[in-house]
Amino acid sequence: MAKYPFTNEAAEYVRELDLKIEDMSEPILTRAEQRIEEALLNALVSTHSRNDEIEIPSFPVAVMMVASTADTLVKKRYALAEAKRVSLLLKDESTETITKLAENFNWKIKLVKAAVEEQTYNFTLHLTDFLKNTTEFHEKKWKLVNRTMLNGDVYLTKDETARLLAEEARRHVEKKLDVKGKFELPENVAERVERLKQMFATQRGKIQLEEFPKGVVIAAFPPCIKSMYDGLRSGHHLSHIGRFALTSFLINIGMTAEDVINLYRSLSDFNERLTRYQVEHIAGGRGSRTRYIPPRCDTLRTHGVCTGMDEICRGLRHPLAYYRRKLRTIMAKVPVERA
Amino acid sequence: MIETKTFVRNEFSEYYQKHSSSIQPPTQIEKREFGFLILKERVMIRHKGFKNVDDLTKFLKTLVPSDVYYSSAYYEKPEEEMEEKGWLGADLIFDIDADHIPTPCAKIHDTWVCGNCGTVGKGILPEKCPACGEQRFDEKTWLCEVCLESAKVETIKLIDMLTRDFGFSSKEMSLSFSGHRGYHLHVKSKEVQTLDSMARKEIVDYILGIGLETGFHGLEERKSRVLVGPSLDDSGWRGRIARGTYEFLLTATPEELEKIGLKKKVVDTLTQHKETILESWKEKGPWGAIKGVDVENWRTIAQRGAEMQSAKIDTVVTTDIHRLIRLTNTLHGKTGLKKVEVPITNIERFDPLKSAIAFKEGTVKILVSDAPEFRLGDQTYGPYKNRQIELPTAAALLLLCKGVAEVKEEK
Repeated sequence: MAKYPFTNEAAEYVRELDLKIEDMSEPILTRAEQRIEEALLNALVSTHSRNDEIEIPSFPVAVMMVASTADTLVKKRYALAEAKRVSLLLKDESTETITKLAENFNWKIKLVKAAVEEQTYNFTLHLTDFLKNTTEFHEKKWKLVNRTMLNGDVYLTKDETARLLAEEARRHVEKKLDVKGKFELPENVAERVERLKQMFATQRGKIQLEEFPKGVVIAAFPPCIKSMYDGLRSGHHLSHIGRFALTSFLINIGMTAEDVINLYRSLSDFNERLTRYQVEHIAGGRGSRTRYIPPRCDTLRTHGVCTGMDEICRGLRHPLAYYRRKLRTIMAKVPVERA
Repeated sequence: MIETKTFVRNEFSEYYQKHSSSIQPPTQIEKREFGFLILKERVMIRHKGFKNVDDLTKFLKTLVPSDVYYSSAYYEKPEEEMEEKGWLGADLIFDIDADHIPTPCAKIHDTWVCGNCGTVGKGILPEKCPACGEQRFDEKTWLCEVCLESAKVETIKLIDMLTRDFGFSSKEMSLSFSGHRGYHLHVKSKEVQTLDSMARKEIVDYILGIGLETGFHGLEERKSRVLVGPSLDDSGWRGRIARGTYEFLLTATPEELEKIGLKKKVVDTLTQHKETILESWKEKGPWGAIKGVDVENWRTIAQRGAEMQSAKIDTVVTTDIHRLIRLTNTLHGKTGLKKVEVPITNIERFDPLKSAIAFKEGTVKILVSDAPEFRLGDQTYGPYKNRQIELPTAAALLLLCKGVAEVKEEK
């Protein structure tokens, strides 16, 4: 239970203790704070064995503290670090324990002993559970099309199952942290949160993605974007997805909505009102107020927008990441062509 | 003389008066968004919601739309704007349309007119106008038997994957003919409804074989340089790769082999050993059976084979979790045919050009400007060129809806 404090069993245990956040003992609060500190500094929560009465409740308390920061990056790092702890523990667990944990998440999992050629599989997992936990993975072996699947069951080795369980744990913690609205914590707890926030402020600068410099550098466009950009300028029509990818890309690297609209002007069926609406919508100026980012590389590949990878593409999975990387190499040898 | 659009509307109106009881409401109708295309103005009315099928049919009888759509998605409030609807889930849907498949007929029955200079051409839409370079065209498509047959073949491949690999039962799936050039397949199981767009993209990639690497399906070089690969009766993509490779090598010409990127020397070796390859399938397959063809060569061939085994679904429809799709037993505005359910277990014997006929009585006098030969039911019609003729209502409506004829009678 102490190892896997996110299980229903552990939650039930805490409920029965009937502890209120106001009267949490110092050791619990200290361990909770330590969980978060370790997550923020080392990206990994430690697993030293200690008193269950401290270890188990320290998890929900830490969750509450992290949620109260209302800081997406802190939440992400914490969830990831808890998942990493789980992942390390699962390495040494038996198939029975893995099955039990999987069932805790309502996975449709079966214990099997199947050998396909030289590969031995220990589990099958229903494809919906598999998909929900692999969309963030990018290795080719996690693509459904590269798996052995029969009757909706995906065949997995023990290690692979453990990897997916850790991902499920990460998503579970992230969901728990996703609390709407502000809530008040007792002063002694709030002080600890404040201390953590300050500590992280110095750390943050190193992690956060730098903003793009002003001005659009065409030479740093990835091949797919470059091809659509050139095409559009010579009056070629783009698919729906193509338009979305190009527009959101340009907006995100700092092109103004006005400039993007002008780009579409060369099309024979240009409709200013409609284009303005769509571009401003993507820029976050209308309706949902969210600024859209371009689809990832594999999505562009599915819809036939990818024109083939170049050397830089190979290590990356997002057109904006390409731009960021290429920009860095270009910046090293200014001057550059600017649009 | 009655105007063609008014005539079509009257006919559609009569259909909805008489056949409203056959309208199949989607499951949980109260959670679906509806959309309607208006006959005359060709505008879309969206964000409509209905509590029950009676309200829907009443609405159809008054509005008489040319096309009726509902959302694959379930919403808390289907009538609100997109961001406010409250998405609860969506059926998993697949669309196979002749438009997206290379067909043996090469779409020779389709015509296009350049939006700029007016040049006219036949067949698959060119990338740009050969005369002026314009990229915008007016298209006139036709529904031909060859196209429909190709769509059916792809649909059968899709059903095979969804059944064997994905484990969906025929009860969880419903299949229909769209009333024009394709088939729609819906999976309504609870477990797939909450899959997000990314998860559905993975399903699309599986069906189309995008990102597939034959190395993950047993085509590899073992220690001591022994080549192994999948067998014909393997399940999942393993078997498909083997069967695709078999099929491809059976018919491929040396030119086709070179086209997929094989060196001349390898192509020669393959051609010389055609018999050996064919025989090898009885045992472990051709992998490693011939000297001079290495693992990379086999992967190139197998990749091409896999492509032949994939089912050519529309990528956008499946990944769009807010999609509107045509409602079963309503009319298709481009053909006057209806979208009909197809028995999944009996698709081979399904005849779309018979089952989708909505108008079974009467005849109409029309003036046909230009139409190729076509079949509806057991009757073959045409070709017609500037001809006045009296046709059964369904055939006449098809030509009227396609915009290649006008009405020539009082009504």
